[in-house]
Amino acid sequence: MSFNHIVFQNIMRDKWTYISYFLSSVFSILVFFLFLITAFHPMMDTINPDSTLGITMIFCSFIVYIFSFVFIIYSMLAFLKKKTKSLGIFMISGASMKQLQKMVFRENMLIAITAIITAIVIGLIISPLFLMVVKNILQADSFGMYIPIQAIVMTLILFSILFLIVSRFTTRFIKKGEAIQLLKADVTQEKIIQPAPWKLILSILVTAILLLLFKVSPGIVESLAIFYYIIVFISLLFTIYFVLTQGILFATRRLQKSSSYYKKTNLLFVSNLQAKGNSHAHIIYLLSILLLAVFVCTSVLYSSYYNVEEDTEAVYPYSFQYISLPDNPVEQEQKDIDFMETTLNQETEGYKSYYSAFKTDEERRIGFMSNSNFNALGTQQTMILKDKEYYVVAGNEGTPPSSEAINDYLDERLQYTGLEENLILSTGLQEVYYIVPDDIYDTIDYPEYDVFAYEVDGWTEQLDVADTVEAQVTTEPDERLVTSKISLYDTEVFIKSIMFFIGFMLSLIFLSAAMSILYFYLQTSLEGEKEKYTGIRKIGLSIKEIRSVVTRELALLIFVPFSFAVILLFVVLFSIRDALSPVFFHMTAIGTGIFLLLFVLSFLIIRKAYLKKLVTE
Amino acid sequence: MPEVILDIKQLHKDYTGEVNYKALKGIDFQLNRNEFVAVMGPSGSGKTTFLNCISTIDRPTNGSITINKKNPYELSDDELAKFRRNELGFVFQDFNLVHTLTVEENILLPLTLDMVSSKEMATRLAGVVDFLGIKEIMKKRTFEISGGQKQRAAIARAVIHQPSLLLADEPTGNLDSKAVNSVMTLFQSIHDTFQTSLLMVTHDPYVASFAERVIFMQDGLLYNEIHRSENKKQFYQEIMDTLTFLGGGQQHEL
Repeated sequence: MSFNHIVFQNIMRDKWTYISYFLSSVFSILVFFLFLITAFHPMMDTINPDSTLGITMIFCSFIVYIFSFVFIIYSMLAFLKKKTKSLGIFMISGASMKQLQKMVFRENMLIAITAIITAIVIGLIISPLFLMVVKNILQADSFGMYIPIQAIVMTLILFSILFLIVSRFTTRFIKKGEAIQLLKADVTQEKIIQPAPWKLILSILVTAILLLLFKVSPGIVESLAIFYYIIVFISLLFTIYFVLTQGILFATRRLQKSSSYYKKTNLLFVSNLQAKGNSHAHIIYLLSILLLAVFVCTSVLYSSYYNVEEDTEAVYPYSFQYISLPDNPVEQEQKDIDFMETTLNQETEGYKSYYSAFKTDEERRIGFMSNSNFNALGTQQTMILKDKEYYVVAGNEGTPPSSEAINDYLDERLQYTGLEENLILSTGLQEVYYIVPDDIYDTIDYPEYDVFAYEVDGWTEQLDVADTVEAQVTTEPDERLVTSKISLYDTEVFIKSIMFFIGFMLSLIFLSAAMSILYFYLQTSLEGEKEKYTGIRKIGLSIKEIRSVVTRELALLIFVPFSFAVILLFVVLFSIRDALSPVFFHMTAIGTGIFLLLFVLSFLIIRKAYLKKLVTE
Repeated sequence: MPEVILDIKQLHKDYTGEVNYKALKGIDFQLNRNEFVAVMGPSGSGKTTFLNCISTIDRPTNGSITINKKNPYELSDDELAKFRRNELGFVFQDFNLVHTLTVEENILLPLTLDMVSSKEMATRLAGVVDFLGIKEIMKKRTFEISGGQKQRAAIARAVIHQPSLLLADEPTGNLDSKAVNSVMTLFQSIHDTFQTSLLMVTHDPYVASFAERVIFMQDGLLYNEIHRSENKKQFYQEIMDTLTFLGGGQQHEL
């Protein structure tokens, strides 16, 4: 019998312990690999010349990579804890610390190599299907199968390095203590949660201050940039941790004091909760974080996906907008307008046209528009300004315009009547538009730009028309500026679908990791629980009563993280509610409902399987 | 004068933590080569701590332990591992078999760690297996065999590298009376056949009566010792009397 034989048998004969970890690892590597296959696709350059898509894909695969790092370190430390007793036996049989480390290292590497190879093989098998999905999302004609040597090599190397580092690192965590501690690991008592009111208050305060900073003085936030978000993220993690652990401690104490503590199975349930408080709290914490990541990933990405139409309209208000500068030759203008209108007449169900004009200080990019020209645009409510009044309209999406700059241009002071933040023309054309009465407009001495705007019915479906028009009518700086929300919408939808797709894959990874952690936790605690319940059954606990205790415990492990994540999600959404449409809340509610259904289902399945193992075997 | 294999001087062990507790308060003890000694005493008297300190798995607070002229607590990790492999064999109450390995693999474990050639392994295994009569369970996993069989497997693992000192902690604690008899007979014959020195902790006077000498512990100190005479029954009675005197004994029909 060789040393490697022991290593191999340790895994093969304990495979149910490792299976969930193995599958989640395979899944992470698989997603990483598939992202790379897409990123390194030979057709990528032609589809996406500025290669933003490829970079995004590579960036996302590195998020997967970093996440895998954390997940694998966590899992290996958890396995090490489970193996402690076996390690003690090996030690008294005469294994040196070096041999123990070597054994654990080889075990890890064996799982790692199998996982990497499995993931790559599965990846190669499903890559045609995956590329077909990508092809549909990208709306690319040619995105077929290829031999992804680059992706294979990179996945192999990067994950081998990852596992190598993590295995080397975790084996250092084998307790350097005496063998007795290793041998007695299975009977030593678990730590119970210690009250930590100051840590709780401090963490909440720090997070609250950091979040307030965001609202109160955005300047500081901007100067700290990414650093700020990292700090917020870390302090949030701490706060959630303390809120959860202290919350569980508080709840068990309350339950113990309540009058129903000694009724039925409450005593068992609550004391169990207290005894395993620490490990339960850790699992609930990890699951909450992972579920929150799942929810945020799907809903934020979905929200961006959902708002594309409105977002596009906010920056480019018209289906087609043709702005003719003074230097534009009259014949050219006539030709372009004729072409556009003929095309629209022939190819669309119906459209509206608006003719307008504005004057501009080209240097400061401040525009002036007469009241009647403003009304002619049709995007806004008709408005009638009285004498000596003016109205302000934003020129850039998202930045409030100055309402005072007009005073630099006019001799007499006009009365400010209001501000419109919705754009009337494409974003970035001017900083601001001042709407003034017609007679004042006539006195302003700046070059005048003519505006031809068209709004097509059912514009989101009119990409062909946009292509036809844009092929013929093109922007010529200093002469004419052509923009179309139809083609912008098309590009945006394309980007957002990819983001949605990526977010979906990421949330699947987080979900699988969460499931793996829960599975491993239940699997490890099963032995001890079985022994405990066999004992209690001897003194007269019915299976029905065991079921009630176990049901409550499992429900706690599964639904506390779920509710916690959902509440946090809605807090996040509520705080950014202005940026979201009401429909989105509706959709999130439905999405959460689907997740809830999934969780109830898996809860029922887990409960049944767990009870069966607990009672019968 | 017989050769001393285990020499213990002023052994102290304190447990510090939330409750400080002195488990061993200064023990002097010597075990001769090829001697079979049982350690007895009431619960909490420090028997197991005493054995664990000798087993090199629990570091003493004070005092010295010399096994075969070496102090295991002065060895480096590698040397200690080698020392355990060559000098010591362990048998526990709860067997401590590795559940992922078969009985055969469990027995071979110490040799594997020592990089012994497979030919040598086979010869040594055959010897032990015949002696212990566990041939039919060699390919089984640890959860497929009975308590008595588990303990036999554990004993096989403990003696396969022919240790100079075999340590047993309540080896019969989890066994039924039939298995107790067979396991103890086995210890007896290992002791006789391989000339192995044996130190065994037990609370069962019947089990202790297999030994040549019984030492009694109370409150972390050696209290008394009695030697076996020719008559095993009389020895048992003496053990019983001492235990009754200690307050930890109970009547037991031989």
